[in-house]
Formats: sequence, C-alpha cells, structure tokens
Amino acid sequence: MKKNHPLRRIVLAGAATVSGIVLLLALKPASDPAASSADGVPQGQQSVAPQGSGGTQAADAAQAQTLTGDVVKTDYGNVQVRITVAGGKITSAAALQSPTGGRSTTVSTDAVPKLNKAAVTTGTADIDAVSGATYTSGGYKKSLQSALDKAGAPGGGSADTGGTGGTGGTGGTGGGSGSGDASGSGAGAAQAKTVTGKAVTTDYGPVQVRITVSGGKITKAEAVQSPSGGRSSQVTSDSVPKLNKAAVAAGSADIDAVSGATYTSGGYKESLQSALDQAGG
Amino acid sequence: MSTIAGGRAARRQTMRRIRPRRSPAIALLIAVWAGAAGVVWLWWSNTPSIADDKDRILNAGRITGLLAGYLMALVVLQMARVPALERRVGSDRVARWHAMSGRYVLCLVLAHIGLTMYGYALQANTGVVDQTIDSVNTLPDMGKAAIGTGLLLFIGLISVGGLRKRIPYDTWYHIHLLTYAAVYLSFWHQLSTGNDFAVQPTATTAWYVLYGTVTALVLWYRVFVPIRLNLRHGMRVEEVVEEAPGIVSVLISGKRLHRIGAEPGQFFRWRFLAPGMRLSSHPYSLSAAPRPGLLRITVKALGDHSTALKGLKRGTRVWAEGPYGALTASRRSRGKVLLMAGGVGITPMRALFETLPAARGDLTLLYRANSTQDLALWDELSAIADERGARLMYAVNSPDGERPDINPETLRQKLPDIDDHDVFLCGPPGFAQGAYTALRGAGVPARRIHHESFEL
Repeated sequence: MKKNHPLRRIVLAGAATVSGIVLLLALKPASDPAASSADGVPQGQQSVAPQGSGGTQAADAAQAQTLTGDVVKTDYGNVQVRITVAGGKITSAAALQSPTGGRSTTVSTDAVPKLNKAAVTTGTADIDAVSGATYTSGGYKKSLQSALDKAGAPGGGSADTGGTGGTGGTGGTGGGSGSGDASGSGAGAAQAKTVTGKAVTTDYGPVQVRITVSGGKITKAEAVQSPSGGRSSQVTSDSVPKLNKAAVAAGSADIDAVSGATYTSGGYKESLQSALDQAGG
Repeated sequence: MSTIAGGRAARRQTMRRIRPRRSPAIALLIAVWAGAAGVVWLWWSNTPSIADDKDRILNAGRITGLLAGYLMALVVLQMARVPALERRVGSDRVARWHAMSGRYVLCLVLAHIGLTMYGYALQANTGVVDQTIDSVNTLPDMGKAAIGTGLLLFIGLISVGGLRKRIPYDTWYHIHLLTYAAVYLSFWHQLSTGNDFAVQPTATTAWYVLYGTVTALVLWYRVFVPIRLNLRHGMRVEEVVEEAPGIVSVLISGKRLHRIGAEPGQFFRWRFLAPGMRLSSHPYSLSAAPRPGLLRITVKALGDHSTALKGLKRGTRVWAEGPYGALTASRRSRGKVLLMAGGVGITPMRALFETLPAARGDLTLLYRANSTQDLALWDELSAIADERGARLMYAVNSPDGERPDINPETLRQKLPDIDDHDVFLCGPPGFAQGAYTALRGAGVPARRIHHESFEL
C-alpha cells in the first residue's frame, strides 16, 4: 500500500517513453553505410535496401521523393510497390506488399528482390517478369507504373534508361534469370569487361559474384546469387552491399568478412577470386 | 450456523510448513521488459538509417506501433484469469496493472496513428486528414484497424474516472468486453502493413505466437475452466442469513465443494441466476473454509447487487468463477499472525482466523467496525477464539461517534511484539491505508503486511 501518485506516474511514463524513442532515433546514422555503395559504381545498379524508406538514398539527391504505388490484386495476394525517385531516376524500389503464405512466401522472397533490382535498372515499369512468379510480376509492374505516374514522369522514366546504362533492359533480364551475362551496364569505358565468378555453395545457399573490370580495376561488384529466405535474406541485404563496396575499394579478393555473415563473406570472396582469375588479373 | 464452523478438513489443508511463496511479480516484470527490448531490437535491426525529419517521425510511429501491439497482448493477458497472476501476484494488483497498462497502450496507439499519418502526409505532400482517409481506404487491413481503434477509444473514454462512476458497473463491464473485438480488428494491419513484419518472417511468427498464446489462455481460463468448475459442482443457494444490519451471508450448496480448490482468504466471482441478476458477476470472499457440501460468502449491502442478495430464494442456481486472490496462508513467513479486519473485510479474515495454522496465543484478530452491532459473525469468532486459544479484539466508535485511534502506540500496547508478526489486512480503503501507516510506524516491515485492495 505504497502511496499512489498517479500524476507523477503519468509524467514519468510519458517522459521515459518520449526520451527513449528520441534516443533511439538519434542513435541511428543519417545515411545507411551499407546502401551508399562504392564511388565508382553507376548508381543504377545498387542493390535495393528492403525498406525503401525515403531516407535510404536521399543522401545523394536532396529532392528525393518517395512514392507508393496502387495496391494491385493478384490471384495470390496483393502487390504494392514503393519507389524512391531522385533526379528523375528510380533510386530504390521495394514491395510493401507481396503474396505470402505457403509457397507464395518462397516465390515472393525470390522474385521481389529481382523485380526491385530490375525496376531500378530500367527506370521504367517495362521490366521482364520473373519466371515462376508471373502473377506477382504482373502486379508489381502495374503498381510500379502507378507509382511512376504519381511521380509525373510516365515517359520521362524511359528517357532516363539511356542515362542509366545503354543496355539496361538486358541487365534486368540478367537479374531475373540469375545467369551471368556480360553487359556493359553503364561503366562507360569501351574496354570495360564484365566477368561472372563461379557459384560457391555455402551452408546457407549459393553465392555468385559478377564484377566489371575496367582499366585493370574493379569498377563494380555485385552478387548475382546470395543466400535468401528467412534470416538469410536479412543477412544478405545487410552484408552484400558492404562486400560489393569492399571489393571495389580493395580491387582484389582480399577483403574482410562482414561480421554476422561469415559464410556469405567466405563464398563471396571465393567467387570474387574466381572472377578475377577469369578477368586475367 | 454450526454447519459451517469447525472445518477440520480445511484446516488440515492449510496446515503445512510455513514456507512463504514469493510473488512472481518481479520475474514477470523482467520478462515483460525483456519482451519490450526484443520489440525495440526488431525495429533497430530492420532500420538501416534515418535521414531526415520525415524519417524520424515515421520511425517514431513504427516504434510506438510495435510497442502498442506488444503491450496490447499483455493487457489482454492480464485479464485472462491465469492462476499464477490471480492467486500468486494477487487479483487486485493485476487489476491495477491492467488499468495502468491499458491507459498506456491507448496513449501509444494514439501516438502511433498521429506520427504515422503525419509522416506519410509529409512524404506525399498532402494533408494529414487526406492522408489518413487515403491510408484507411487503400492500405490492407486498415479499414478493420480503424474500426478497432474507434472501439478502443470509446472503451478508453468510458473508463475515465468521472464517466465510469456514472455508468452502472455491469453496463461498463459488458462494453469493456468489446476490447476483444478491437484487439482482433487491429491485429491484422500490424502484420500486413508493418515494415518489420514484411521484412522479417520470424517477427511475424513471434507475433502469431504471442497473440495465439494469449487467445488460448483467455479461452482456457475464462471459458473452459469456469464451465468445467460449474458442471462439476452444480452450485445452488441453500440459505440466506442476516448476520448484522445490512450484512448477509449466503450459504451455497453443491457437490464435493471441498475439492473446489479454494483456500481460506480467497474469493470467487459470483453470478446468481435469478431474475435481474443474471448479467452481473461480483467478487465476494468466502467467509468460511469450504466444507464438502457448503460454501459461505458474507456480503455487505453496498450496491444494487449486494442489496438484492437478501431476496435470493433457496435453490437458485449459482455460477462461480475462481478461486482467485492471493491473501492466503501461503503469504505468511512468521509463526505469529495478526489479522486486521475493517467492516465487511472480516469475511476473508474470518476464514483465515479459523484455519491459519498457529500455536495457542500466536494468532490475533483485530476487528474494526462502527458499532458493536455491526460486528458481524461475532459469535462465531468468539467460539473460534476460545477453541484455538487465539486473541480477539475489537475497536468500535465511541457512543458520540468518535473513531478509535489506531496508531503505532496503541498497536504496540496491545501487541508488544507486533514487529514479529505477519499482518493480514482487509477492509475499506481508508481503514486499510490508516492501518498500513500505523503498522509501518509500529515497526512491521512492508513485506510482512499482506493486503488486498480493489481500488484502481
């Protein structure tokens, strides 16, 4: 039967909650260390952070704008896309909703990252469907188009394609099928060469790296395959951008493993080395 | 009345070694905080960065939303009548937690809605109202969530002090049950629009486990267990006896009632299936240890329900839920015990006075009432005192209405070794508060003062 002080309790609880939340928000960095990929990389090919929250890519363009597309109903569930547009380009795309439950979850986990990537690469809603995920792809494209319409750039989007990379469309296909085709994805230099390393199997899934080498340097590195599903998806989305950046910075396969992603890092390095071997340097 | 006194079987039941059981409250609070930390960690691990104010607002909305979703489940859990909470932490304390956390959750929900809608509006360059309408219409499960929130606000509104006192308890209680619908309706938007659940399937699983467990506990302890109890015991009103002006005892017969699991000091929630009383369920303490065929409650006419008890007819069916309450023999830690009762608070004390294991002279009952006339059950108490060699004292107002002074000095005068006692305390809030202060002043440590109070 301690004395009750309702007012004091309310004030305390309120102050504690507010200051706790403010503290949490203040502790977060202003820009994502993982998402701001290596300097030499053309910006179209970044792997997309799953949140697609407006701020992720906002650092590079002050006028970045986040747009949410319509909800599109498919036979397997709803699809809704949110994109960030900066300087007339799609800098990131993410699915707010995608079919879930049973098999659908697997299909979504597989297809959505590919579609996100394709959207960023092409800069339009004109992306190829991911095989095995026809409905989701269809819904995705519709929702993406509606988001682009909101951006007021239905045609402008395709004009940007040229700027993003000469063969952006091919890049989209490549992302979809997962095969490592060589496409000069905007590195600019005529002698740029794209080499795909061998697929390395890790305990959590295969890892395969594709690099663009220009003038003896790695100008771009990306993972064609990486572990996905459950916790792996999250580890991948966190670690792969860091590995890509490290590969470009180091110019060799001698990069540090990302903590918490030891297996992925190991496979990445091995695949990267094989790609470097193929590139002959 | 001799039928209810001298329950030997019941006394044997409580005659175990003195081994105080710690209340699990601390462990439970730690678990609740750990869960909250897990929820914040979920947000933390899914949020790579925060760039600008829009982001800050949206993320504050996400944190408040996640915490509200988590706590909402716990608020419901607190009223699931889980034995560990009702019998060990104590129904009164859990009810206070429920009220407190319920208000807090409501604030979190409002903050979540405000922050999220404002953040979306900033992002889309629209007004907050337009954005809210748009979100409710287009985002999945948001329609349901809006209805659920409306219900929650309504329930919160009628629970506010001033308004609640004006609404009859039964009406308030039945409106309060709508919370289940509100929680169900607002559950789905958490999974379908919550960023953290979209990104992390394990989080979704954890949410289903949390809400699934709570649902299962509510169904088990609020529906299944009471049905089983009442089918087993088939209770009916046996007799209604007036004990003192305005205080009646209801004797309830049934099958194998000594197996009902009630310890002296506990209470049931009673529902008498008589016209006009079917819809109300009220907590009344047992005023005697259960006998094989008989239970007894003693009630003071304070409200409509307790007044109507006088008119109960023999044979009326009784629906009981319980036993609940933590004011039992298992709380004591010492050989010597002082029981303090104020007015109708005598009911659980009477049951404890009869059954608490104690050597002759180690047990004392102090009974406070307005006048000697109001000392209900006095004859029984004297008989028990004689039989057990226990001390029985009373304090009543003097003829001119002056209240007896219960203070550290008078207490020490009556019981020189009072600081070596466990004290069980039951009575109206004013009496309980005064007695508590006096006991602390007389040197009884707080952990040895056991009381129950149903004020929120």
